[in-house]
Amino acid sequence: MQTGSWSWACGRRALMASLVTVVAAGILAADRAAAQEVKRGGTLVIARPEEPLSWNPYTQGDNGSIYAIEQVCDSLVEADATGRGLRPGLAESWEMAADGLSYTFKLRDAKFSDGSPVTVDDVVFSWGKLNDPSAAYQFLLQPVKSIEKVDDKHMRVTLNELYAPFPSVASVFAAAIVKKAAFEANPDEFANKPVCSGPFMVESYERGTKVVLVRNPHYWEMGADGQALPYLDKVELLYVPDTNARVLGLQNGDYDVSAIIPYNQAKAVSETPDMGLEVAEIFRLDYVYLNHKQKPLDDERIRLAMNHAANLQAINKAVFFDYGQIPNSINPKMNFWSGDVAPLAFDIEKAKSLVAEAGYDGTPIKLRIDTGNAPAKQVATILQQGWQEAGLKVEIEELDGGTAWNSVVDGSYMAYVSYITSDINDDDELLALQTDPTEAGTQGFFSRYKNDEVTALLTQSRATTDAAKRGEVFKQIQDITYNDGYSVPLAYTPSINAYHNKVKGWRTLATGWWWLKDVWIDQ
Amino acid sequence: MLQFIAGRLAQMIPVLFGVSLIAFLSVHLVPGDPIQIMTLGRATPETIAAMHAEYGLDQPLWQQYLTFIGNALQGDLGRSIVQKTDVAKLIGDGIGVSLYLLAYSAVLSVLIAVPLAMWAAARRDSAPDHVVRLASMVGLAMPPFWIGLLLMVVFGLTLRWFPIRGFGEGFFGHLHHMFLPALTMALFLAPILIQSLRSSILDVLEADYIEVARSKGLSPRRIMFKHILRNAAIPVITVLAVNIGWLLSGAVIVETVFTIHGLGSQLVRSVGFRDYFTVQGLALVFSVLVMLVNLAADLAYMAIDRRVARA
Repeated sequence: MQTGSWSWACGRRALMASLVTVVAAGILAADRAAAQEVKRGGTLVIARPEEPLSWNPYTQGDNGSIYAIEQVCDSLVEADATGRGLRPGLAESWEMAADGLSYTFKLRDAKFSDGSPVTVDDVVFSWGKLNDPSAAYQFLLQPVKSIEKVDDKHMRVTLNELYAPFPSVASVFAAAIVKKAAFEANPDEFANKPVCSGPFMVESYERGTKVVLVRNPHYWEMGADGQALPYLDKVELLYVPDTNARVLGLQNGDYDVSAIIPYNQAKAVSETPDMGLEVAEIFRLDYVYLNHKQKPLDDERIRLAMNHAANLQAINKAVFFDYGQIPNSINPKMNFWSGDVAPLAFDIEKAKSLVAEAGYDGTPIKLRIDTGNAPAKQVATILQQGWQEAGLKVEIEELDGGTAWNSVVDGSYMAYVSYITSDINDDDELLALQTDPTEAGTQGFFSRYKNDEVTALLTQSRATTDAAKRGEVFKQIQDITYNDGYSVPLAYTPSINAYHNKVKGWRTLATGWWWLKDVWIDQ
Repeated sequence: MLQFIAGRLAQMIPVLFGVSLIAFLSVHLVPGDPIQIMTLGRATPETIAAMHAEYGLDQPLWQQYLTFIGNALQGDLGRSIVQKTDVAKLIGDGIGVSLYLLAYSAVLSVLIAVPLAMWAAARRDSAPDHVVRLASMVGLAMPPFWIGLLLMVVFGLTLRWFPIRGFGEGFFGHLHHMFLPALTMALFLAPILIQSLRSSILDVLEADYIEVARSKGLSPRRIMFKHILRNAAIPVITVLAVNIGWLLSGAVIVETVFTIHGLGSQLVRSVGFRDYFTVQGLALVFSVLVMLVNLAADLAYMAIDRRVARA
C-alpha cells in the first residue's frame, strides 16, 4: 500500500464523511460488483471458533459477540464495503458544525425487526447507554458533552473538544441502535433476543452450540435486484472451537464457511477442489508487549536492540506461513498508516552494539506466552535465538492465559507475545489506548510508555478533520513510537477463512467481521 | 435399604460443603480476574470497578463465600459473569449431554471388557490372552484425542458411517451421533476394566466353591455366569465406579474433539475465563454426580453379594 495514493483516497473518504449529504443508494450500487444474477434464499452454515456470550452491545468486547451483533444491529454510521471507509447506516446523513464541536445526524426511515419504526428517542437512548460509565466502550465517548434530540428526524451530539475520529466512533458496534422499549423493559431478555434494525434477527440462541439467524423482513437496505436485503433466508452460526473439527467439517460439506483457518492448514484448504480461501487484510498487529518499567526494558537501546535482533522474516515464514506482512508501526495498518517509516532492519551486529552501549547487566528478559498457543511458542523460540545472539539473556515462560494477562494488567510482566486489533478504521482508538500515560487509563496499554510529544501530537490529530493534516501528524506519531522501541512488532496478520464455491459475496471487512447481508448461495 | 440410602444422602451434605470451599478458594486464589480477561484492556478503570461491584467481586473473600453458600442453599447458583446467564441454566443445558455420554461410554466399556476379559482368562497365557492384554496396553497408551480424531477421520469422514459433531435429535439420533465419542472413551476405559476383571476371574477360578460347583457337575456356562462372574464383578464395580468419576472430567477432551457441548468443556472454558460462579456450580454438580455413582455402586454390591446386604 503506497502512502501517497492511500492518504489521498483517505482524504476523499474522510471528507465525504464529514460533508453534508452522502448518497446512499449510489454508493451501494457501486459497492456490489456482482457479475452474476444474485439468487435469493437458502441457509448458510458458518463454523466459528467463538460464540456470542451476549447480544447486549454495551457490555461486550469479545469477537464472538461483536461479529454476531454486527449482523443483527445497526449503528448510525457503518463501515463501508472494505471496512476502511464509512458510509451511512441508520443515519441517512450527518453534518459537522462549522466549529467542529457538534454533529447532527439525520435518521432514515427504518424499522426494527418487530415492525416498529426506529425513532430519535431510540437513538438518544442507545447513545446514552454507550455513554454510561458501565459500558465497555464508553472510553470512545470521552470528549462527548451531550446527546440530545433535535426533532423527530434529527439527533445532535455536542463535544467538549475537537474530535476528528468521531464519525468512525459512530460506526462501532457498541454504538448500535436498539429499541428503547424492548431494552428498558428487560435488558436480560434483550441480551438473549435483541430487537434491532439490522439485516437479520435472532431466531434461536443455544449457548455452546449455535445461533440461528433469520432475515429481518423490515430491513431498510436494498439489494442489487431492487428488493430488500439480505439475500439469504437463514444463517446458522455454529460454535466449533476445535480447529481440526472446523477444517474437517468444511471439507466434509457439513459447513459452508469455516472461519479462522490456522496458517498451517491454509494452503491445504486452498488446494481442495470447490473451495475458496479468503486471506483478508484486517486491522491486526501481532507484537511483543514490553513493560518499560522493568529493567532492562527501561533502556530504549535494549528495546531497539530487541527489534534489530528479531528475525521477522523467519517468523513470518515459520509461524505465519508467509501470510503476514513485516510491520513498521506499533499499531495495525489503519487509515493513516504510513509506508514512509523505515522498518528497523534485522541487524544482529547493530543489536550487539546497542546492548553493549546500554551496559546490559545480564538481567534475564522473561518472555511470556500463553500455554497451548503453538504459534506463540514458535515466535518466542525464534525471538530468543536472535536476542541471545545479540547478547541478551532470555527465558521463555509459559502461563495459563488468564494468569499471563493478569501479570500484564498488574505490571509484573516483562515481555508478552500477543496482538492488538482495532474496531474502527481511525488510528485514534488504538493510539489513544497504547500511548495514554495516565494512571487512570491503562498506562499505555500496559507498556508504561510516556512521551509527552506523542500525547501532544495525538491531541493535534483530533483537532482537525483535514485528512492530509491528520495523516502528517499520525505519520510523526508512527515514527516516534516505533523508533522509541515501544514494543517489538511482529507482523500484520490477516484473517483467513474458507468457504465452498457456491457461497458468493463472502467478504471479511478490515475491521475483522464479515457481512452476511449481501452473501448469497449459488445453488 | 431406604434407611441406608437416606443415610448416604445425608452424608453428602458435609462433603458438598467441603467441595464448595475448596472450589471457591482454588478458583479465587489463582491469579487472573474475570473482568480483566473479558475486557482485555479496553475498559476504563471506572467501568471495571462498576463491573466488579455488580458481581460482588469487590467484597472480601469470606463475604463472597458466605453469599455464595447462602444463595446455593436457596437453590440459586448465581449468574455466569462471562456468559451472562444463570449458572443453573448453563448446567441444565449441558448435563443431559454429559450424562448421556457417560452412560453410553460405561455401557460400551462393559460390553467390550466383559467378553474380552472372560476370553483372556479362559485361555490364560495362550495367544488370545496375550493379544487381549497387548490391545489393552495400546488402548490405554493412546491419548483419547488421538483415538477420537482417528475414529472421526476413518468412520466419520472416509466411510461416512457416523456424524462427526453434535448431539443429534431424538433417541436414535443421539445413539448415532454419540457412538464415536462414547467409543473413544470406552477404548480408554475398557483396558482398565479388562485387566481388573481378568485378574479377578483368575482369582475366583482358584476358589474352593468353584471346585465344588464343578464337582457337582454344573455346566461351565452356569458356573461362569452364576458363580464366577458374580464374584469377580465385585472389585471391578469399584474400578468402574471410580473411573466413571474420572470420565466426567476426562470427557472434556472428547467433548472438544467431537464438538459436543457438555459440562466438561463448560468447566474448562469457565476456568479459563475465571468464571467463578460457573466453576463453583459445576464443582458442586460434579461432586453430587460422583457421590451418586458411588452410591449406585454400593447398591450394586448389595444386589450381587447377599453378605454385604445383610451387614
